[in-house]
Amino acid sequence: MGKIGRMVIHNLKKDKGQYLSFGIIILLTAFILNLALVLSFQMDRAYDRKSDDLSTAGLYFCIPKVQNTASLKRELSDLKGVERVESKEGIFTSAVIKEFRGVDFAMNTIFYNMDEIHHLNQYEIVKESNKSFEATVFIPLFVAEFGEYSLEDEIVYEVDGTEYAFHVAGILEEMQYGNAGSGLLCAYLPEDAYQTFAGEKEGNQVIEYSLMTNGDVDETKSQINEMLSNKGIHLVSMLDSASAKQTRTMVCDLTVLILMAFSFVVLLVSMFLCKFRIQNSIEEEITQMGVLKAMGYTGTMLLMAVIFPYMIVGGISALAGILLSYGLLPGLVQMLALQSGFSFQPGFDTGALILVLLILIGVTLFFTYLAAKRIKKLVPIDAIRGNSGGKRGRRNYFPLDEAAGSLHVNLILKQIAVSAKQNVLLFLVSFLMMVLAAFAGTLFYNVVIEPEHFTSTLSEEMPSIILTVKPDRFEKMKKEMLDISEVEQVLEYASVKLEVKEKTVTAFIAQDFSLVSNDLCYEGRNPEKENEIAVGSGLASDYSIGDKITIKNGNSDCTYDIVGYIQSVNYQGEVLELTNEGYLNLDSTYQSQSLYLYLNEKADVERFVEEIEKKYERDIISVVNYDKMAKSSQRIYSDMVEGIIAAIFLVTILIIFLVLYMMIKSLIIKRKQELGIYKAIGYSNIQLILQIAGSFLPVSAAAILISAVAGLWYMPVINGMLFQMIGAMKNNLEVSFVFLMLFAICQIAIDFVISVCLALPIRKISAYSLIRE
Amino acid sequence: MKKKKEAIISAKNLKKSFTTKDRSQDIFDQLNLDIYKGDFTVIMGSSGAGKSTLMYALSGMDRPTAGEIKFNGKNITKLNDDQLAVFRRKNCGFVFQQIYLLEKMSLMDNVITAGALVNKNRKEITKKASELFELVNIPEETQKKFSSQISGGEAQRAGIVRAVINRPEVLFADEPTGALNSGNSDAVLDVFTKLHCNGQSIIMVTHDKKSALRGNRIIYLKDGQIFGECDLEGFSDGDEKRKDKLDIFLAKMGW
Repeated sequence: MGKIGRMVIHNLKKDKGQYLSFGIIILLTAFILNLALVLSFQMDRAYDRKSDDLSTAGLYFCIPKVQNTASLKRELSDLKGVERVESKEGIFTSAVIKEFRGVDFAMNTIFYNMDEIHHLNQYEIVKESNKSFEATVFIPLFVAEFGEYSLEDEIVYEVDGTEYAFHVAGILEEMQYGNAGSGLLCAYLPEDAYQTFAGEKEGNQVIEYSLMTNGDVDETKSQINEMLSNKGIHLVSMLDSASAKQTRTMVCDLTVLILMAFSFVVLLVSMFLCKFRIQNSIEEEITQMGVLKAMGYTGTMLLMAVIFPYMIVGGISALAGILLSYGLLPGLVQMLALQSGFSFQPGFDTGALILVLLILIGVTLFFTYLAAKRIKKLVPIDAIRGNSGGKRGRRNYFPLDEAAGSLHVNLILKQIAVSAKQNVLLFLVSFLMMVLAAFAGTLFYNVVIEPEHFTSTLSEEMPSIILTVKPDRFEKMKKEMLDISEVEQVLEYASVKLEVKEKTVTAFIAQDFSLVSNDLCYEGRNPEKENEIAVGSGLASDYSIGDKITIKNGNSDCTYDIVGYIQSVNYQGEVLELTNEGYLNLDSTYQSQSLYLYLNEKADVERFVEEIEKKYERDIISVVNYDKMAKSSQRIYSDMVEGIIAAIFLVTILIIFLVLYMMIKSLIIKRKQELGIYKAIGYSNIQLILQIAGSFLPVSAAAILISAVAGLWYMPVINGMLFQMIGAMKNNLEVSFVFLMLFAICQIAIDFVISVCLALPIRKISAYSLIRE
Repeated sequence: MKKKKEAIISAKNLKKSFTTKDRSQDIFDQLNLDIYKGDFTVIMGSSGAGKSTLMYALSGMDRPTAGEIKFNGKNITKLNDDQLAVFRRKNCGFVFQQIYLLEKMSLMDNVITAGALVNKNRKEITKKASELFELVNIPEETQKKFSSQISGGEAQRAGIVRAVINRPEVLFADEPTGALNSGNSDAVLDVFTKLHCNGQSIIMVTHDKKSALRGNRIIYLKDGQIFGECDLEGFSDGDEKRKDKLDIFLAKMGW
């Protein structure tokens, strides 16, 4: 073994604990980073692969069966960029799935005949029951996972007030719709059941055209819209695979982003720590280095002896972290499958492995070299004399004969004043750790304490109850609802499909947008007059506020003034807002049927729904307990967020522990003699332990408090960035100062307790041995 | 008639062993010793005889392996670490060969750091420290300096001030002139003599005859036992009789 090898092994053995701490932090970084990279690389690839395997069409749309013509398929095939066209039958319903995760879940559902042979938009059966039931259905993975349905469970679809009960005969994966984000789900019925259902729902029968395209999908969409419009064919729904993919992978993308940011913070902390440790170690071993240089060791040899242990530990730990991350990946993918309605088996990713190793080893090399490069310039005689070349303080901070206050406080202040590097490291680490805590705290506050902040960001209007009323009873119902003491507000609110530049978009129609509980407008204002309109963020790049926009509804069209931008996470931002009067310009026969009821906080929504259903049985078409539905989805998010918060806190505490371990261990080694002197002159263990812990506390507490206060600024920025990524241009998340402070105080207390615990070992060292060693 | 001396420290059946992985070595065993109030006791012996080990055991800085040490009648071997720390701050002062001043503090702060542990009145401590600095000839401007900015002799004298700021029962000195040149050594030894003359009990470990001459009782340690003891009269400069007596004693001890 060469000279450098021996020195490297000597260094590794000498500071085992410190290298272990560094290794754990790098392991953690590699763990998180690899999770992010594998997800990022494989989810996308797996999605596309499955999409190809199931021959998912690039574009698919539904038209009423009665409007279908024999020539339409050929005409579609002739469109530019269309490679292949296939049609199949379906039953398009505005269904309410009963007991979907314990609530009624309103979702457009298209039922297909699973025995109808088709080659595009195929499905794959994931699970299938052997039992036979009278009425069976095959449901998509999203409905099964999110709605908590297992094989053979009963699932009830309520369509136009009639309940249709099925047993789940199988769970299938399809890449056509996937999750609730696209506003449409599917279900497959066996031939007999399908025909029976189709017989009952003749008016709902549709023909779905699936198109394989090789050109610009938007252009094809426009051509189709124009063609259907010219033929007077109503477009029931239109979706493209790219939008479906974006919606389905949204949470995964967000997770990757959070994991990346998280690993970056942890990596930064580990590098600060590594730099601090190397600088300290140079100061501790300066004399030894001087002797070695005098003996003929070169600066490069000494430099390598310092850098290599970090590289070795960093490399091994990174590899371990990468391998360990594969233990969590299947669970994480499973969790993400809840939202994406698509699962895959994550495999070993060599690309991610190489990238993680390169990043971590590269960054470690850079920081260690930066910290240790001065070794090369050490003059042997200066080093032997203990002069490391660093600046030596000559100022006596807080002179005890002049300073007022407690001796121990003054000693702590003195220690802080002479520990500039330690303070910088401690400040940066504590600040960054508080950023993590602030992120977790804000998420906790907005998802668990004030959940409507979070759900309102991801949802549209959020009433307590949605009533669909028979047209002739509408005014009577509205009046009667307003008279009920528990009802705070009643709002005519509906969503319809309209066209903008041959593109089908969702429009929210309300009598008065000033009465809404969830204002979607993020710029400008909501429409107030019949000629005013607000457009979604997805249209914002094409239209400015003040522009005019022409909206089509079948054969009618009307031009409106754009007065504001609104957001919607669920429709890729392609939404509109119109007043009732404004919509009448496009549909003069429009009669609102949908009433949004807002109950006061004390009201029992469940009981209220039951009473309404009983009392107004003849007047209403359907009642949806939206409050229950929102709470149910809040619960899902709460569970996920609680997991994230627990993970962030564990990691934060672990990092704080490791950082303080390295700092205190370093400090004890560096100040061993000094501590011995203190002990000799009569300082007790507890005094010295508190002195050590106390010398960390003011700096870390200051950093944490500054970070917490700064959180009022940076958290909205972080939240804004995260939510903009998923299409929410405005988020309703509140950064609670009280909560930030609460988390800050917790972190300060944890810091102090950890510092005290880590300083405890000095009890075991006698004053005599401290001096002697 | 000679007045009977009052034992301030009594060590009985004292044993100290150091254990390494494969062997155990007794530094001293079954050692009995009394230290008297007002004495300037000098512990001498060859290298490795256990002089410093004995002194640190007597001061409560280190724990003996076995035996009993009574300090003013109180058994200090039964005290826990923190009780020992409190005991030391009230009863002991230490002067080390390597001086061991706190590097990042001025000389004055070094002294106050020890003094303020016992006396909370910072002004009183500062005043007393100034008086002691004056006694050891360290001027005010030097008091504000760091140990790295002054000579070894000055640093050691500052170390003595720190050691006596709390008026300890016993001042323990471990080779206090070991790292000093001749001029600085004399200045430091003069301080010890001054303190002794003022009634300070001192235990000093040394292998330097010149330093030993400042004491009035010489204990010679050999093979883990007190091999011999010599009673010198009070120190006065140029006292040839005392020097001769010490020379004869040391020669007898095999020095």
